[in-house]
Amino acid sequence: MQASRARLFKEYKEVQREKAIDSDIQLVCDDSNIFKWTALIKGPSETPFEGGVFQLAFSVPEQYPLQPPQVRFLTKIFHPNVHFKTGEICLDILKNAWSPAWTLQSVCRAIIALMAHPEADSPLNCDSGNLLRSGDLRGYQSMARMYTRLAAMPKKG
Amino acid sequence: MEQKEEEDDEEEESSSVGSLNNELNPCPICLGPVNQEAYLDRCFHKFCYNCIAHWAKYVAARNSQPQFTLRCPYCKSDNISIVYECEGDSFQRHYINKELEKSTFFTKAHKFRLRCYYCEPGAIYNKFNVQRFWKLHRYLQPNKWLQFWLKREIQALTQEEDVDVVVHHILGSIESFTRQKERGPSKRTIEENREDFKALISDAARPFLIGRTKRFVDEIELFLVSCLNVEAYDEVYAQCVEMVTSGAVHEDEEERLQEVNRQLPYLHFFDEDTDTE
Repeated sequence: MQASRARLFKEYKEVQREKAIDSDIQLVCDDSNIFKWTALIKGPSETPFEGGVFQLAFSVPEQYPLQPPQVRFLTKIFHPNVHFKTGEICLDILKNAWSPAWTLQSVCRAIIALMAHPEADSPLNCDSGNLLRSGDLRGYQSMARMYTRLAAMPKKG
Repeated sequence: MEQKEEEDDEEEESSSVGSLNNELNPCPICLGPVNQEAYLDRCFHKFCYNCIAHWAKYVAARNSQPQFTLRCPYCKSDNISIVYECEGDSFQRHYINKELEKSTFFTKAHKFRLRCYYCEPGAIYNKFNVQRFWKLHRYLQPNKWLQFWLKREIQALTQEEDVDVVVHHILGSIESFTRQKERGPSKRTIEENREDFKALISDAARPFLIGRTKRFVDEIELFLVSCLNVEAYDEVYAQCVEMVTSGAVHEDEEERLQEVNRQLPYLHFFDEDTDTE
């Protein structure tokens, strides 16, 4: 408990310092609870998520960093490895491949990389996965872009 | 912009020691300055001992199968042990595979021999007549206890169980020394013979024992000079060590050993012995 708190505090300070450098990631700690964080990440360019801003919710376990944080998308996203309803993310480093050398910041970076490189073979969103697996890249991209416009961009007017 | 980067690089290089280094290279697990430096044995990534030991324990508990290696949290390479308490040329090892750690090869006698290397050898020289040994060419007589003694000695110094290769290597150079001397009357003096012997063993042992080579060579000589079997030799040696440290052999020798380590940090891993005389 104490160790996780100390480490999260270090990450908090690091985030404040790096704010200007990595403008694609905005990590914010809950005012009253250092175990709850949210992040705003920019959809990577040259993907259907470009131009969108996606919100992630972090729930950090007391055993952190021995255990990975739980992360899910709060913003709706059409992606093979993200559950369409719950926002749950299928990413190895958040499960078996977790290492305590990861930080919340680097997890965000990994999630951005996952957005750019979907793994269609381990889908949480079968519709999205099937589009990619059947080779319908155009179908996948237009669906993903539509949801990015609907959910991840500021509404016009 | 480029210039700035260069400056940054220099800064990192120049701060290779001290707290600044700790700030630049924090423990990847707690992100704080490294407390009780510990290294993984293959990739040499540095962590706090507690952090990496906790992680190893956590990983072990998570897996139903016993683990033989620990994947470095930083670079994913597989390691078999955590090396810590590196002081001078001594260090402790925490094996990922508990069986190895509990293995019985490292006996009390091993611990005692290791401890000897932290004591001044002075008193023991009064027990045996080194000059006589060389003068009467006693070194030409085979010593049937030498192999056993060597193996234990090298195990104690390297804290490795399988040292047969090193033992045979050193035995081989001793043999070639005696064969060379047997060949006939040489013009070498007693002192020169003794120096030849020491130089030969030094060369054979240095790659494995590094900073402890010189003392190790002295210890081999002493053992050969004694013409005692291993048990008897240990007994005599223990008496001398006790006289020097004026303390009994404690049960918690490991603690004692560490204490001695701190008091006598005069041997170093990469010391060439030539100037430690």
